[in-house]
Amino acid sequence: MHIPVLTTNKARHIVCVIHYMTHVTDTSSAYENLRLELRRGCLALAVLAALRAEQYGYSLRKILADRGMAIDENTLYPLLRRLETQGLLVSEWREKDKRNKRFYRLSHDGKLVLKQLLADWQGINASLSAVL
Amino acid sequence: MDLLDRYLHAVKFWLPKAQRQDIVSELSEDIRSQIEDKESELGRALTEAEIEATLVRIGRPVLVASRYLPQRHLIGPALFPIYVFVLKIVTACYLVPWILVGIGLLLYSPGYRAAHGGGWFRALGTIWGGFWMTALVAAGAVTAVFAALERGASKPEFLENWNPRRLPPVRDPNRIPRGTSILELAVNIVFASWWILFMSTPTVLNRPDIQITLAPGWIYFFWGYLILAAANIATAGANLLQPNWTRTTAGLRLVTNLCGSALFCVLCQSDILLTISLAVDGATNGQKIADAINMWASRALPFAAGVGLLVLAVDLRRLIRVKAA
Repeated sequence: MHIPVLTTNKARHIVCVIHYMTHVTDTSSAYENLRLELRRGCLALAVLAALRAEQYGYSLRKILADRGMAIDENTLYPLLRRLETQGLLVSEWREKDKRNKRFYRLSHDGKLVLKQLLADWQGINASLSAVL
Repeated sequence: MDLLDRYLHAVKFWLPKAQRQDIVSELSEDIRSQIEDKESELGRALTEAEIEATLVRIGRPVLVASRYLPQRHLIGPALFPIYVFVLKIVTACYLVPWILVGIGLLLYSPGYRAAHGGGWFRALGTIWGGFWMTALVAAGAVTAVFAALERGASKPEFLENWNPRRLPPVRDPNRIPRGTSILELAVNIVFASWWILFMSTPTVLNRPDIQITLAPGWIYFFWGYLILAAANIATAGANLLQPNWTRTTAGLRLVTNLCGSALFCVLCQSDILLTISLAVDGATNGQKIADAINMWASRALPFAAGVGLLVLAVDLRRLIRVKAA
């Protein structure tokens, strides 16, 4: 019977592969966390900007997805509620296509805040471009 | 759509009553729109498996509902490090001594064993159960206090009002405070003087009413502890002049403590008390007392060894730290 022998080189190779895989997993996880953090702040700005025109939840998601800012329902609806509680959005239930939908748009305060946030965003963008 | 209705009902269960209907209506509208879009894309109705896959992607009902709830915590991030610190102190100063005392009583007190189930294993089980109950009550009490602090005010006053000038100074672990060296010097000089004056002969007490005589082997312990006291005086003197641990002083401290602990362990086992003569009770009772003291000294060996090991661990850590510096 032939028993395969694990040579020192083979063992070293296995250790290296395991180490590399662990390192890659850690890096991917760190990247994913940072990416989520980066997106989180931008999403509120994108939602406020998209709601300059009235939208209901699903149509808003589709608009954002079409423009490369896909947002899932579990993130969007709690965010909309938070923004509404802060007085930046107003909403009303209306019937459309034989179904009740909740329509959102920017409030007066929301317009002011969006203007300030856009100025901040441009400032950050310029600073970041200078750093990069 | 039975599956969707069941899903929405499950989400609804976890939502606050006031917002329940509103949130579920909006979520329902979104999911139905998604399903309709897919159906028009495929040109057919979605199968139950496809609807199931959509719901699985959206997430478990309790998780979906949790996104709508305010972030809650029993102990917030501001108090949490202090909470963990207090738990560590409670463990070190209350729970560890509790279990050590319990084990000590289990090993050395037949009365304690009898009162806690009779046999070794039963008594051990009682102690173990009691320990977990004590730990649970202690941790629960600390948690309750911190949870009350968290609820009591948005931010406790001591986190808001603080002064950087009151922060403790940065302590160099290798630096020896002069006060410590002076105290060590004084204690060792007083000990050595008392040792020479009163403990140099086996008859350590010789009064008309009581005589205490030690075994002839005492002389080795006498010289051993005298040499150790001299070494401690030398180390404390050196530390006073050079108030930083060096490899030499840290090494010397390790060796003296090692010798001191070893000597004490041997002393515990050597039936060092030869006789106690009491004028009132006669020799029999005195011998009984001497035997009892020797027996208890012998039983104290594990504790002496434990304390010795603890001291040596501290010394070894210091030596490693000095070497690394």
